Amino acid sequence: MIEMNQTFIIAAYSVTWAVILGYLLLVSRKGSRVRDQYERMLGEIRVEDRP
Amino acid sequence: MAWQHDWRRVRAIARKDLTTELRAKAGFNGVASLAVTILILLGLALGPDAAALRNAAVGAVWLATLFSGVLAFNRSFQVELESGALEPLLLYPGARWTIFAGKLIANFAFVSLMVAIVTVAGIVLFGIAVPARWPSLIAVIALGVIGLVVLGTFYASMASRSRAREVLLPLLLFPMLVPVLLAATTASKALLGADIMHEAGPWIRLLIGFDIVFLIATFIAFEHVIEA
Amino acid sequence: MPPDNPVSRQGTAAAPAPTSTLFALVAIVAVIAAQSFAILTSPAEGDMGHLQKIMYVHVPAAWMAFISFFVVLVYSIRYLWRRNENDDLLAASAAEVGAVFTGLTLMLGMIWGRPAWGVWWVWDARLTSTLVLFLIFVGYLALRAFVDDSGQRARWSAAVGAIGAINVPIVYMSVKWWRTLHQPPSSPETLDPAYTMGLRLNAIALLLVTIYFIRKRYEIARVERAVEHLAEAAAMRGK
Repeated sequence: MIEMNQTFIIAAYSVTWAVILGYLLLVSRKGSRVRDQYERMLGEIRVEDRP
Repeated sequence: MAWQHDWRRVRAIARKDLTTELRAKAGFNGVASLAVTILILLGLALGPDAAALRNAAVGAVWLATLFSGVLAFNRSFQVELESGALEPLLLYPGARWTIFAGKLIANFAFVSLMVAIVTVAGIVLFGIAVPARWPSLIAVIALGVIGLVVLGTFYASMASRSRAREVLLPLLLFPMLVPVLLAATTASKALLGADIMHEAGPWIRLLIGFDIVFLIATFIAFEHVIEA
Repeated sequence: MPPDNPVSRQGTAAAPAPTSTLFALVAIVAVIAAQSFAILTSPAEGDMGHLQKIMYVHVPAAWMAFISFFVVLVYSIRYLWRRNENDDLLAASAAEVGAVFTGLTLMLGMIWGRPAWGVWWVWDARLTSTLVLFLIFVGYLALRAFVDDSGQRARWSAAVGAIGAINVPIVYMSVKWWRTLHQPPSSPETLDPAYTMGLRLNAIALLLVTIYFIRKRYEIARVERAVEHLAEAAAMRGK
């Protein structure tokens, strides 16, 4: 009985860490992607603004 | 007096919406037919055992009402959307809340009529005996319909103008209607029986509270939401 | 309207001050420490053995979900009142983080419930209310996804967020009544003093993580908005 519970306890903590680290990863990746996009668009505008 | 002027606008909008729906008979007939069809499908899916059907009756009637109701709510803004009439309507001098009030009244009339039909169909198809406390039952249904119409009209004012209106309206509306669904079904079931535990009372009070809270909240929020 | 000038746009994107990675590390370490403390110091309980240890992640996750939702409520109202775009972005960030924690709460609730009750799901008050809360979050995020005009999106999200938040206590109350009338109450979480310290520590640690998540997501939202501005400006110049 206690052994079976152990599986669920491990599952619970694994899921928790998967979510925490997973969201961390997702958010960092999105962050760099969006920042790159911003830099790129800024660069395009500067090129246009050059007389 | 400004108040009379506002009230006249409300009636005008309500009348306009209702006559539009009545002229496009396909509108009401279609939605009511759909509601009854859903009820029939639920009967087929949950039956044929008579006892099971009697237990499921209240839930089935409310679900049929909910699913058909979303069609009615999106439609209530569709006319303005298709003819581009929403902007001019907003430009008319006068309070914006009158638009919301007018549509609420029209939708309430529309959905009440539909609920009446579905309830009768439910009584027949699911083998319900009309209880002694049927006036209270009507009160419960009316209060539930008010909650449904208030939130339905409010969310439809946005969903109908978004990209995925068929999905967005139910997605936004249904979770919000959980208290109404629970209250209406539990109270109705109690009233269909003898209600020995006097369960219906607290649920009716919850419905009244819910309706008041969201009537006020949606009126306030509508001002922000209706700007083009 | 700010001038159509790349430098001023960049200024908008540069503030807020970037959320430091150090903060993230501190938060993660705090969670590890709190979980270790709780797991090691809490005694076995009755015939559930150590199952109650799941509470140390399940309950704080639920609390974080509600805190996030409260942030959504506050900043939604603030946006409707002041019409400051940043309030809308913060509300949206909190909503996304809230959805994550609500989903986690549900999963952990099911993982706890399976050995405790023998089934993966029960329609008990807390689990059901959390599920409805999850759907309300999802609706909010879906609305944002399906509205392209930024002003409309902000106003509509704020209205939906505020009205949704008002309903949360009503939903919880109605589901609780619904359950108590027909079924014996589900096993209450009697909080033995032996467990409270561990619970509090885990809650504080997870709060640090939540704050980091929301701030980080908000930072990104600001850049996303700046990108949107640039795209709008480019479109207006007839590209």
